[in-house]
Amino acid sequence: MILEALEREGVEYIFGYPGGANLPIYQHLREHPRLKHILVRHEQGAAHMADGYARACGRPGVVFATSGPGALNLVTGLCTAYMDSVPMVAITGQVNSTQVGRDAFQESDVIGATSSVTKHSYLVTSIDQLPRVIHEAFHIATTGRPGPVLVDICKDVQMAEADRVTPERLEIPGYKLNGHVDLDHARRAAKALAGAERPVILAGHGVLLSHAEPQLQELAETAAAPVGTTLLGIGAFPVKHPLSLHMTGFMGTGWCLKAVQNADVLMMVGMRVDDRVTAKLSEFAPNVKTFIHVDIDGSEMGKNVRPHIELVADAKQALAAMQPHVGALNQNRGRWLAQIDAWREEHPLRYKHSNGQLQPQDVLIDMYRRARSEAIVVADVGQNQIWAALWWNYDRPGLFINSGGAGTMGYALPAAIGAKFGRPDVPVWCVAGEGGFVMTAQELSVAVEHQLDVKVVLLNNFSLGMVRQFQDDFYGGVRSQVDLKHMPDFVKLSEAYGLPARRVERFEDIGPAFDAAERTKGPFLIDFRIDPEANVYPIVPLGKSLNEFWESPENA
Amino acid sequence: MPEIKEKIRVLSVLVEDAPNTLTKVSGAIRRRGFHVRGISVGPSSQPGRFRITLQVDHGHAEADQVRKQLERLVEVVEVEDLTGDHVHSRELIVAKVAASELDALLKRGAKVLSTAADGTTVEFSGEREEVGDFVDELTRHGIVDVARSGPVVMRRTQ
Repeated sequence: MILEALEREGVEYIFGYPGGANLPIYQHLREHPRLKHILVRHEQGAAHMADGYARACGRPGVVFATSGPGALNLVTGLCTAYMDSVPMVAITGQVNSTQVGRDAFQESDVIGATSSVTKHSYLVTSIDQLPRVIHEAFHIATTGRPGPVLVDICKDVQMAEADRVTPERLEIPGYKLNGHVDLDHARRAAKALAGAERPVILAGHGVLLSHAEPQLQELAETAAAPVGTTLLGIGAFPVKHPLSLHMTGFMGTGWCLKAVQNADVLMMVGMRVDDRVTAKLSEFAPNVKTFIHVDIDGSEMGKNVRPHIELVADAKQALAAMQPHVGALNQNRGRWLAQIDAWREEHPLRYKHSNGQLQPQDVLIDMYRRARSEAIVVADVGQNQIWAALWWNYDRPGLFINSGGAGTMGYALPAAIGAKFGRPDVPVWCVAGEGGFVMTAQELSVAVEHQLDVKVVLLNNFSLGMVRQFQDDFYGGVRSQVDLKHMPDFVKLSEAYGLPARRVERFEDIGPAFDAAERTKGPFLIDFRIDPEANVYPIVPLGKSLNEFWESPENA
Repeated sequence: MPEIKEKIRVLSVLVEDAPNTLTKVSGAIRRRGFHVRGISVGPSSQPGRFRITLQVDHGHAEADQVRKQLERLVEVVEVEDLTGDHVHSRELIVAKVAASELDALLKRGAKVLSTAADGTTVEFSGEREEVGDFVDELTRHGIVDVARSGPVVMRRTQ
């Protein structure tokens, strides 16, 4: 009955792991050839694969896990999806309904453990609830602000027989969708943007989730307003567009941060305005007279920054509603755009490459030259993530995937595998540091088993680079527990898993290694031994305002 | 220092009668750094739904965040923020006192529920402040036992 319900929802892939409490589901899997089950090597990998799948193709990711440890291993993956509003349905096995609460074998309070990292959750103790619950779970996961929904199903319910019932109509009185745009607010927002002397638009993940990129670009061009994106909003606006400010936030570009700090009208679309975007909150965008906030989740209004004009609506509809009301532009607009161009000249992205060591930026620049916006990059967390964000020019949506809100190390490999299942037509690159990579490296088996074209770019600096950089810069230079000297030989490790690999230590070997990766069908790993002292710049020191960003000490 | 009272929101929350509802509501409050000062739960006029009356300290967050965060929960059907409105607000107290101390309490409007050898049990209901004063009075006279409810609040019709 569960599997039939999944078929009805149009599910293609399930990422899962069987165990005692979900065996009744697995018993019937073969009878449903339309459902392709991917056996992972750890449940966390399943959650990240479903997440990467969902972000790459837009359909909800589906996860199976058994009770107790199986379900609890999903928690990090659920949290990752929850923080980044990724649609996912996790179906976990639970002990028999009569055993719940008796500390049965492999019993745990999964609903209790996951409530804070799911959009919604259900404990199913009776077969009558099942059709409605599965249907509701997919509806809630994919609509409004998307997110993970967990369905915990008792084993006796999995085994129960029932008539095949299709739930007729969804009735969830407590689930409110904000679709309606307040036209008066939209008009005011458009007028404020057009009338501004120094406008800035910031775009977040919500723009991508609502596919509002064309509306954003049209509005920005009509209002001659420059656009920066958040880390998760990358792809919402073409980086090479003349109005692009690239990335904002405490590791954003210098010209974007200057623009934000000097703007008089700031419109934030589809974003949470978290601490990584604002840095020191009390000094965030201090010259703004009018904050405009567009988000589908009303609780984001004023959570961190109190907007003067709020639009609680889907980004696409809100931006489209604003478009006709952009009137005559402020006459000083040309001066503002010229000022931003000057900042762009003054604070370019740069890195040192004069010390003879392999620089991560060299690797990424070569990669980008080959990919030309025709590949998906899935980054891990840390320096590798920010380098991958800043040194590619993402000109189309959906090409950059990473764990922005939760910052989950170990995300990249399984998420890249999931992304490849979701978009088999597009090359998928996994960019990771060696620290995060080993946290979920066991999923290489999945890539090999399915001969997935996932190319792993390991930016290996033998240390926890971002932590090391923070210790160097903000914690008195005391390096504590960041050395990763004792790591496996990644070429041999790859061979052990059954995929080809190569090590690169010199600049001139970058190209040939990528050539080899591109020639190879199936997974490939390149262990780039990068400069262990390479840092991420720009960076705003902890607790400081966006104005106070540090730049790379050496000019390129 | 703002007065502590200013940070208290009074909310009337209509919820689905589901096994996880109370956990979800209290979890959302805890997770956002809010603090429950008073709570009462009981059936509502709608079948299958309960009404939770909450007094919540919203701490450092914006005042309207309590309502907004609760509204996000699928189990929550409706949230009414009654803070600062004209309302009927009642709390109930049941206390056991020595029989000799009864007069002062009866004068305040307490009602006798039962009398026994170890003391007399009285009930009293009123606004939060009245119940607070009643507790002070009890303390002066020596309480044997006391139980106090959370608030039940309804907007006054004008």
